Amino acid sequence: MSENKSDVLQGTLDLMILKTVESMGTLHGYAIARRIEQVSDNAFSINQGTIYPALLRLEQRGWIKSEWGMTETNRRARFYSLSRIGRKKIEEETENWERIAATMARFLTPSN
Amino acid sequence: MDWIRILLTRISSLLHRRQLDADLDDELRAHIDLAIAENLNRGMPPEDARIAALRAFGGITQTREAYRNQRGFPIFSQGIGDLRFALRQLRKSPGFSLTAILTLALGIGAVTSVFTVVNGVLLKPFAFRDPGQLVVVREVEDEIRSHAASIPDNYRHYLRLKQTSRTLEDAAIFQEHGVGISPDGNRPNLVGALDASSNFFRILGVQPILGRDFAETDSVKGAPPVVLLSYSGWQTFLQGNPKVIGQTMTIGGFPATVIGVLPPGFRFPHLSLAPWIASGPSREIEIFEPLTLNDFTLKQDAGAFNFNVIARLKTGVSLSQAQTELDTLQKAYTLSAHLPIHLGIALTPFTQDVASGISGALWVLLAAVGAVLLIACVNLANLQLARAVSSEREIAVRAALGASKFRLVWARLTESILLACMGGAAGIALAFSGVRLLVTLVPSDVPRLHEVQVNSPVLLFAVAVSIAAALLFGILPALRSLRVHPQAALQANSSRTVNTQEGRQTRSVLIGAQVACTIVLLIVTALALRSFSRLLHQDRGFDSSHVTLAQVDLFAPQYDDKLPNVKAVKLAFADRALAALARLPGVQSVALTSAAPLTGETWVDDLTRPDHPVADGKRPMINVRWIDPEYLSTMQTPLVAGRNISAGDRANPYVALISETTARQGFPGENPIGRKLSDIVPDDSHFVTVIGVVADTHINGLRDSSPMVYLPYWAYTPWTLSFLVRSSQSSTALIPEIRRTLWGLDPQVTIPTLLSMDQQVSDSVATDRFQAVVLASFGAAGLFLALLGVYGVLAYSVSLRQQEFGIRIALGSGKAALMRLVLLQAAYPVFAGAGIGLALALLTVRWIRSLLYQTPVLDPLAIGCSILLLFATAAVAALVPARHAASIDPMRALRTD
Repeated sequence: MSENKSDVLQGTLDLMILKTVESMGTLHGYAIARRIEQVSDNAFSINQGTIYPALLRLEQRGWIKSEWGMTETNRRARFYSLSRIGRKKIEEETENWERIAATMARFLTPSN
Repeated sequence: MDWIRILLTRISSLLHRRQLDADLDDELRAHIDLAIAENLNRGMPPEDARIAALRAFGGITQTREAYRNQRGFPIFSQGIGDLRFALRQLRKSPGFSLTAILTLALGIGAVTSVFTVVNGVLLKPFAFRDPGQLVVVREVEDEIRSHAASIPDNYRHYLRLKQTSRTLEDAAIFQEHGVGISPDGNRPNLVGALDASSNFFRILGVQPILGRDFAETDSVKGAPPVVLLSYSGWQTFLQGNPKVIGQTMTIGGFPATVIGVLPPGFRFPHLSLAPWIASGPSREIEIFEPLTLNDFTLKQDAGAFNFNVIARLKTGVSLSQAQTELDTLQKAYTLSAHLPIHLGIALTPFTQDVASGISGALWVLLAAVGAVLLIACVNLANLQLARAVSSEREIAVRAALGASKFRLVWARLTESILLACMGGAAGIALAFSGVRLLVTLVPSDVPRLHEVQVNSPVLLFAVAVSIAAALLFGILPALRSLRVHPQAALQANSSRTVNTQEGRQTRSVLIGAQVACTIVLLIVTALALRSFSRLLHQDRGFDSSHVTLAQVDLFAPQYDDKLPNVKAVKLAFADRALAALARLPGVQSVALTSAAPLTGETWVDDLTRPDHPVADGKRPMINVRWIDPEYLSTMQTPLVAGRNISAGDRANPYVALISETTARQGFPGENPIGRKLSDIVPDDSHFVTVIGVVADTHINGLRDSSPMVYLPYWAYTPWTLSFLVRSSQSSTALIPEIRRTLWGLDPQVTIPTLLSMDQQVSDSVATDRFQAVVLASFGAAGLFLALLGVYGVLAYSVSLRQQEFGIRIALGSGKAALMRLVLLQAAYPVFAGAGIGLALALLTVRWIRSLLYQTPVLDPLAIGCSILLLFATAAVAALVPARHAASIDPMRALRTD
């Protein structure tokens, strides 16, 4: 990983993938990677490759599921979608993340 | 629950790795294709579109690696890889692998075998309820403490303690003895019997499988005699008849009703009355009878210390708490009851007490065999180091390719662990026969020998030892791989030139450690051998050769204590037996004594002099023996002063012989001849006149030399008679004759012991012999391994320095100088190791002091011989490589490489 790309916390990437799949429905890996880049406005310049271990991790936990299908351009690809567990977990994870973010914000904004 | 799902998917992914790899490749290719397509759409030229897509993706290989790590078990699959690699390496050098596995197998096998015996005899808990809470209770008499650390129990004291103690849940009292059993009452076999209080089995937590346990009423005086049988006793005496309850069985000539049969796993071990009282031949206890007490025992408060007591501690009570409480109670009672002696209590854990006779020897053996394994491990470490040097390049390549330090160490350690596992497995297989061999060597009176077997704790131990061994001999070479500098190693034209100096130091340290270990082992072995030799070759004060020993127990109704003429009946049997045995062919003399020789102290009494009253507890303790006039000549024990007992004394048998020590202790500065003794003949108030002094002997045991008093059997005939037959015929020929003769006189007596005196002597030192033999073989093994170690290291180092030696010879160095060079290289670590070993030995030998007989732990001969032997061995081991170094052909040495 080159130095000017900020490292992304593991849990953060997971949550970004989950949110993407939640909002966009069934997507293949490339579409998920592109979507994350677009939404984050390239603030997190992750290597697109790093999403694959993350996808596998989420699938192992049973939060997302995958199946092979055809893209619009008739290319065989693996498509990911949210599972029932994932749908529940997304809320928990969001709350978690917001709590962390709020706590961090309190540290970062000077108290007055 | 996530982790279960993750684990399952990971495991399943291991099974179809190929398919998943292909899927991943497909998926990644799709990703790149989609990215390229999008870039093309945006109007990029094809080549740029491709590069941009790849750049946005990042490293494909890294992604694949990260993905695989997420998918499977990275450490696991790495481990498999290391294992495969190690296997390949080992197969490439079968000579080394076989040597290592064989060495480990023998080492681990030996350690496991000894541990199996230690576990079965010393560690394994008894199959009783909560055996950790069981203790053996003995009394302590302050007045004779220097002589006897503890004494057996008095019945009244037992009752008091049982009632007043708050730390004991319960306590049982019992007495072991032998009884004659035979189907028709004739030619009975002697079997072990235990008379116990009725709560005995409840304390042990054992219930009969047939019939009932003892009840309080069974112990009441005049209650009908009942008996509980051990399972094997039930099988042997009553053929396992299930309808046995209520049947009558004849025990020692008297009928008793069978009330129960004990479970098959139940065996009660022999407990010594006190540590200094030898047990005699141990017999399996088959008969359990309720303890009934005579009036004498019930009245005695400062005598009749004739019982064993076991107790169960209350839950949560520690041994020391109970010890303190009981000791305090007993001391207070001694004072308040104005007893003439000062008593206390000594508790020992049950398991420990049972094995107290052998535990020291076994622990020493385990330590010794551990030392042998240690020495073997050092040898293997040396071999592994040599291999590590030659694989330096491989390590350098791995390091250069970015292997982590952990991976480097682990890769090399894997090989050692693999070796240890194979050696360990072979060792466990060997242990099965090793245990069998050990059990034949162990003295047969060691408790629970039948329970010695390779079981799961033993296997666990063997596995632990194997792993420890692997770490021991593998860690140094493995850590060494950390110090390999990739650049230097890769640049070097020959692996030989790298790190030799450093390697030499490590090897020297290992040689030193090995020598130190060997010295300790040798000194301990030498001390044990010296002690054993002293035990055998000391002046015993008797001659056992050509003597056969026959012990006869007069346990039959015609010798019953309650009969009015029992004295005359016993005397008549003794007279007739002496006469009949004397008529056997080749017999030179026949003698009688009340205690079988070499069975420890018995009939211990204090020496009381009517003319010289001494306070209670201050009188010397003596062993009383009832003998006949032929005893001294048959045993060839010299008379030192006065005269022997003669036939003329029969009418007035109140005469005594005393041993030199008795004379010294009982009559200091006086001539004992003609002096009187009192209170020595049971139920008889006659004074006894000392008529002679005999030499001190080791007749009670080769380690023992208790003061003795010998009286004629005409004054008192005991129920147990030992006949000593000196004959020109061999014991083998004589034994059936003696048995026929004795049972010809009375077929109802038991003959528990009938063997040559030489055998009796040999049996009595079985523990010492076992220790000496096994230690000697371990010592020899250790020395041999040290020889191999020194030789191996020197030979290896000479082979590394061939070029150097070649140059030296070419430059005119003499052979003697070269040999000196090699020998010196060996000398430093050997001398340093010997010094350290000596210091270690001085620290450790004190642990074995109690096992040695009249041998100081700093015995100069033992230590000197050990050192000399080691140096001689090291010199032999060093000379061969030294000569090789001197005979190197410089031309050839310089041409190679």
